[in-house]
Amino acid sequence: METYLYIALFAPLVGSLFAALFANRPKNIVTGIATSTLLFVAWISSVVLLMHVMHGEEVHVKLMDWIHAGGLYIPFGFVVDQVTATMMFVVTTVSTVVHIYSMGYMDHDRSFNRFFAWLSAFVFSMMVLVMSDNFAGLFIGWEGVGLCSWALIGFWYERESASWAANEAFIMNRIADLGMLIGIFLVYWNFGSLQYDEVFAQVADKDHTLLIMVTAFLFIGAMGKSAQFPLHTWLADAMEGPTPVSALIHAATMVTAGVYLVIRANPLYSAVPEVSYFVACLGAFVALFAASMALVNRDLKRIIAYSTLSQLGYMFVAAGLGAYWIALFHLMTHAFFKALLFLGAGNVMHAMDDELDIFKMGGLAKKMKWTMILMTLASLALAGIYPFAGFFSKDKILEAAFATDHYVLWTILWITAGLTAFYSFRLVMLVFFGEERYKIFGFHPHEAYKFMLWAMAPLAVLAVIAGFFEHSFMHMVSYVLPIEEYHVASGTFWTLVVVTLGIAASGIAVAVFKYSKGGFSKKWEETFIYKLLFNQYYIPKIYDEYICKPYAELSRIFWKDMDLKVVDATVDFIATTIYKSGMASRVVQSGNLSNMLRWMGVGLLILLLAAIFYSPVR
Amino acid sequence: MITLSHYLILSAILFCIGLIGVYRRKNLLLLLFSTEILLNAVNIGFAAVSKFYGDLTGQMFAFFIIAIAASEVAVGLGLMIVWYKRRGTLDLDSMQSMHG
Amino acid sequence: MDHILSVLVFFPAIAGLLGFVVSKESIRAYGISVAAIEFLLSLWLWFSFDGNYPGMQFVEMLPLIPAFGISYYLGVDGISLFIVVLSTFITLIGLIALSIEKDIKNMIISLLFLEMTMVGVFVSLDAILFYVFWELSLVPMLYIIGAWGGELRIYAAIKFFLYTFAGSLIMLVGMLVMAYLYHQATGVWSFAITEWHRLILPMNYQIWLFIAFFIGLAIKVPMFPFHTWLPYAHGQAPTIGSVILAAVLLKMGTYGLVRLPLPMFPDASVYMIYPVAVLSLIMIIYTAMVAYAQKDMKQVVAYSSISHMGVIVLGTFAMNPEGIAGSVFFMLSHGVVSGALFMLVGVIYDRRHTKLMSEFGGLAKVMPHYATIMGIMVMASVGLPLTMSFVGEFLSLAGFYQISHTMTILAGTSIILGAVYMLSLYKKSFFGEVVHEKNKNLKDLDGKESMALWTLVLITVWLGVYPKPVLEPINTSVESLVSFMHKKAITKEAREVIKPTVIKREAE
Repeated sequence: METYLYIALFAPLVGSLFAALFANRPKNIVTGIATSTLLFVAWISSVVLLMHVMHGEEVHVKLMDWIHAGGLYIPFGFVVDQVTATMMFVVTTVSTVVHIYSMGYMDHDRSFNRFFAWLSAFVFSMMVLVMSDNFAGLFIGWEGVGLCSWALIGFWYERESASWAANEAFIMNRIADLGMLIGIFLVYWNFGSLQYDEVFAQVADKDHTLLIMVTAFLFIGAMGKSAQFPLHTWLADAMEGPTPVSALIHAATMVTAGVYLVIRANPLYSAVPEVSYFVACLGAFVALFAASMALVNRDLKRIIAYSTLSQLGYMFVAAGLGAYWIALFHLMTHAFFKALLFLGAGNVMHAMDDELDIFKMGGLAKKMKWTMILMTLASLALAGIYPFAGFFSKDKILEAAFATDHYVLWTILWITAGLTAFYSFRLVMLVFFGEERYKIFGFHPHEAYKFMLWAMAPLAVLAVIAGFFEHSFMHMVSYVLPIEEYHVASGTFWTLVVVTLGIAASGIAVAVFKYSKGGFSKKWEETFIYKLLFNQYYIPKIYDEYICKPYAELSRIFWKDMDLKVVDATVDFIATTIYKSGMASRVVQSGNLSNMLRWMGVGLLILLLAAIFYSPVR
Repeated sequence: MITLSHYLILSAILFCIGLIGVYRRKNLLLLLFSTEILLNAVNIGFAAVSKFYGDLTGQMFAFFIIAIAASEVAVGLGLMIVWYKRRGTLDLDSMQSMHG
Repeated sequence: MDHILSVLVFFPAIAGLLGFVVSKESIRAYGISVAAIEFLLSLWLWFSFDGNYPGMQFVEMLPLIPAFGISYYLGVDGISLFIVVLSTFITLIGLIALSIEKDIKNMIISLLFLEMTMVGVFVSLDAILFYVFWELSLVPMLYIIGAWGGELRIYAAIKFFLYTFAGSLIMLVGMLVMAYLYHQATGVWSFAITEWHRLILPMNYQIWLFIAFFIGLAIKVPMFPFHTWLPYAHGQAPTIGSVILAAVLLKMGTYGLVRLPLPMFPDASVYMIYPVAVLSLIMIIYTAMVAYAQKDMKQVVAYSSISHMGVIVLGTFAMNPEGIAGSVFFMLSHGVVSGALFMLVGVIYDRRHTKLMSEFGGLAKVMPHYATIMGIMVMASVGLPLTMSFVGEFLSLAGFYQISHTMTILAGTSIILGAVYMLSLYKKSFFGEVVHEKNKNLKDLDGKESMALWTLVLITVWLGVYPKPVLEPINTSVESLVSFMHKKAITKEAREVIKPTVIKREAE
């Protein structure tokens, strides 16, 4: 099994390095094919490993030592248990699909080879993240995916907005990474190790305050990667990257790393209900907060990005309530349908010459039938309609919230479910149905390549059927995650299902009804609430105004007024004082012999007097 | 009775005369003379001390000084002649090329 | 090879003297081959070094002035070994990438002399010898900045010389007092640093001596507020000067901290942890912000290197094996990474004769190869895992975390602020459209530049993925250093703070 583990881990790296060799050369289709093939190999290995661990096995290997100083010992160790295997399956599935899809999507791009190098490098980092058996290894992957995300968001670096968004994403993640790093230090100094198993074994005998600190700092890391409030702004801006990147990184895999961290560290989080409760509350808040911004946005990709944010909120609610397996389950189903949604959006963008404003589209269903079908499927799954995957996982989260008596959380999530359904179908309606507005703007849409559609097919299938694996999935992860059976009376249970389905269906109904008749009136756009939502609660503006600008200004002051005018000037002042005193006293050296003789006499006299009065020998 | 003090006072007076000469004179030649007086003042002191303490080292030093003074005069006068030939003056105030 | 260290010290100097008779055409090849031989010698030193023995190895001892206990006393341990290798390596790489045409002969000879002084500082175990090499290293650098520098070169060179010279004079006074105290205690004169280590001093002496040594070393590091000579020196120095200055000369300060005040005055070092840490924190955050405000690429790198030196000092004062081993490792990685960054800035300066970021933009398109290496090095400087810097930075901060939580969080902002200035540098110069006409036809890296830079990249990644061959000998020596300090400490606080082996190695 070790072999499969190493294949799954290193196949993407080999692909990445291979593609990197051609990075500066003109497009070479081989790089795309090679990386995709290697990923397919990694996928097969992941499936083999998944089958292997399904019945409680675990694969644990130590590749080599990494850091060893003082008492700190960090090996490159990898573990495949049921959680990791699930993550590996999700990552390799989505990334294989995205790789194949990208061969079509990036067809005309100048930097085709570079794209595949980075994309595979990302998969490698993600594999390290999920497979590592210690916190430091997790951090390697954590930073690695951050790096690849930076390079891929800024892939079209000629665009100012792209390189800006790349830097924003990287820096914001770094803020969170500091929290994570501090969490790791805390773990090391208090648990004496960074290995998961050793740390988790000691949880019971540790001080409660300490555990609060550890989990809180680790969660700060998770907040950055999973773009939770207040570190969420980068995710929407990250949509500057190519769409396959958004599908892979900013929907299916990287952003779920935060959720993965909480699930992985579940023994820690279960021990501190306070932090877990905070995680759940923040998750619920973000779910609603992000969904509200998605309601009014006009940008095709940003709407999907906000919905990702909102769904991440759902996952955190589940994780925070201790229903780790549900969080993982939702993570998985979400990865499938959200990636599908993004790839569909990619088709639309391709057809529309990279136009993103959904109000300039409409009626595309005629030209792009298959894309329409795929995206509608994904949207139904996202909205949580039976029997699509989203229904099962989302319903479970609501059930968990209700069963643990968190009615406020339940209400928030319930409302969000309605909003989700609404904005998903608002998007579908505005893009694919209604008036053909694109004609006004002179676009000539066309359906994407056949193989791109075929590449999306596996995701579509999974988005439809993944939900039915609920019980076998639960059984599998029960080896590592605590499973709590929620005892809800069957009447209440069915009521809940109906109520949830009801709000989702009504959300869809409102969207379909309104937008088939030309949408809401313009008057809405004048209201305060619309402006607030449209400007993302003015948060990016606040960050820019109150953090970025003062920082730049303060830096300038530190340099110009502090460093040059105070610190350096002091040094120069000492130097010039000595220099000036020399200049002032140089007149003494007149060169006139009799003058100098006089000075000599004075000196002699002083020395004589000193010798007489201060002689040590009397 | 002439004691050591008398010699030493004589030496001191001579030294002062030399010192004043060194200070006041503006002519390099006279400056040289004054330094000779200084040296000889010291010589008197040495010789007297040597005589009164019966230690010949003092007189030895006096001889040394006389020898050195002679060579100094030889070199000094030579330099001065060259200087006078070049500049036509031995006035101290005209020699300030070493000012800072 | 009993006298390998003497050979290492004096071979470049003698070869440099012979360089005067070499013809101008072949001097470059001559310089590179001398540096290559020197580098191979240092590699030989590394391979014949016993990584499991913590003490001094390859010791050479020859009394010079027995009456005062001054001797020619050389030796290396795990702490100094790799800095020696770094010095010879950086000199070699610098010579390979050397792009100066004017007075090339003088340049190469000064570099070889500089190499002697650098190696000399790191292998000296006698305080006077250490001091002599320490001061001698100023001379070739003064010449390099003053003769090949930019417009303000004379000002920068003199500032560099006088500033560091003044600092080292204070250190010299400390050394003399130390020797006097040693004489008082034992009745014999000795300037051997290893002998000084064994001297236990009362607290008040320790503190004053610590301050004397610390000021001398801090100016070299350079610690805030003694750092202002560095931006000028870097700004005016030619590329090779900056590379060596940043990569090796600054390490003299931090190496000196580990070698001199820490084991000599463990109690005073513990007593002074907070003042030093506050200075380091200011240094880390403040210079990182100043770096962000810079308009000149080279100044960004210069200030960033000050900021990183702050983390090194912080790691040193963690007083536990993790922190000190981390800071020694960080010295090496900082040497490689900042050396590479200065070289990279030099590459573009050679082509465009300007370093202003506003003059560039879109370089990734014109010079993809260059942009790749720059990207890797920027990421290494930011401290990404699997690059060399991460190992050092992680260990230094992890070590210091034991001293103070809040301060480590503040120091940790260096990973954020580092990303801010480095990425904005990269964005301003490499991303965007090519705006300036002059940039449209820039040549990408040529053979010698790529060779030098790729070597640095390989080392950065290799030691980031597998730091063991270097970290293990460092760790051995550092562990013995820390337990020595622990044993030597007289105050209770110091005994508590200095933690020799904090945690039982459970993973083994």
